[in-house]
Amino acid sequence: MSRYLILVILNIPLILAGIINSLVGYKLGRMTRGRFIFGLVFWLILLFGLIFVKPIYTFLFSNNLTKTEPLSLFDVIQITGIIFTLFIANKAFGKADLLERRFNDLHQELSIRLSKEKGDE
Amino acid sequence: MPAYNEAAVIADVINQLRQTFRGRGYEHEIIVIDDCSIDNTCEAAKSAGAKVIRHILNTGSGGSTATGLIYAQKNNFDLAATLDADGQHLAEDVLRGIKLIQKNDSDLLIGSRLIDSQGMSKVKRIGNKGLSIITFILFGVKVTDSQSGLRIFSKAALDSLKWRTHGYEFASEMLWRAKQRKLRINEFPIKAIYTEYSTAKGQNNWNAFNIIKSLIKRRIVELFGE
Repeated sequence: MSRYLILVILNIPLILAGIINSLVGYKLGRMTRGRFIFGLVFWLILLFGLIFVKPIYTFLFSNNLTKTEPLSLFDVIQITGIIFTLFIANKAFGKADLLERRFNDLHQELSIRLSKEKGDE
Repeated sequence: MPAYNEAAVIADVINQLRQTFRGRGYEHEIIVIDDCSIDNTCEAAKSAGAKVIRHILNTGSGGSTATGLIYAQKNNFDLAATLDADGQHLAEDVLRGIKLIQKNDSDLLIGSRLIDSQGMSKVKRIGNKGLSIITFILFGVKVTDSQSGLRIFSKAALDSLKWRTHGYEFASEMLWRAKQRKLRINEFPIKAIYTEYSTAKGQNNWNAFNIIKSLIKRRIVELFGE
C-alpha cells in the first residue's frame, strides 16, 4: 500500500472528528461563529494538504522548490502524531476554557450569596 | 468598587461618595467587592456604610469588577459606576458621569484622566497612553484612557458586558467586548488625585508589559476559544 494512502487513511478520521466537533459545538451554541469558521478552515486546510500531498510534493520537486526525499514511513507516523496532538490540544483547550468560565461564574455567585448570608451586604 | 487591601482609605472614599450623592435624588447603593484583602478593608467599608461582597478567592481587579456588575445586573440597577478604591477619583466626577450617561448617548462612559493629565507623572502618562494605543491596535477601540477605573455603565451595558480576563487587562478587554456588542463608548474628562498612597498602590509601569502580553494572548485565544 502506498505510504501516501496510509497517511490519508490514518489521519482523515481525526480531521473529520475535528470538523464534526466544530460543527456540533457551533450548532449547540457552545461556540462563536468566528471560532467555528476558524476551526473549519484549520481542519479543511489539513484535509486538503493530506489529500493532495503527493501532487503537491511532485509539483514542488519538479519546480526545484524542494529537494527533500519522498515521504518515508517514519514521516507518516510523525505527521499522524502531530495531527493527533493538535486534535487533543484543541479539545483540551475547549474543555479548560469552559471549566474556567463555569468556575468564575460559580465563584461570583457564591461570593454574592455568602456575603448576603453573612450579612456583609 | 473593587478593593484589595485598602483599609487605610476606603472609608474616606465611601464617605465622600455618600456626601456627594446625599440629597441628589438618586436611589443608590455603594458596593465594595473585597478581593480577599488581608487587612481590615471589609470591616472599614462596612462601618462606613457600604455593602460588601467578599470574594472567596483573590481574582484581581477584573474579577472583582465583574462580580460587582453582576450584582448590579441581578438587582436590576438602571446604572452602575465603578471607581478605584484608592481614592484617586473624585466623587463629583462619578456624579457628573452619571448625569452624562443619563442623557442617553452612551452605554459605557469612561472617565479619562488623560484628556487633562495635569498632576499625572510623565511615566504614568506614557504608560497609559501606550496601553491605549495597544488597545486600539489589538481591538480597534480608540479612547484616550483605556485603563481608567472610573466607568459608568448603562442598563444595556450591564445586561450584555462580560469579559474573560481578571487582572488589570480587563479594562482594555471590556472596551473590546463593548465594541463587539455595539455599545456606545464615550469619554469624559476627570481629574485624578495622586496622593503618596495612591501612587504607591497604583500599577507599576512594568506591569504594562504583563497587561500587553495578556491582551495579545486573549486576542489569539479568541480564535480558538469557545
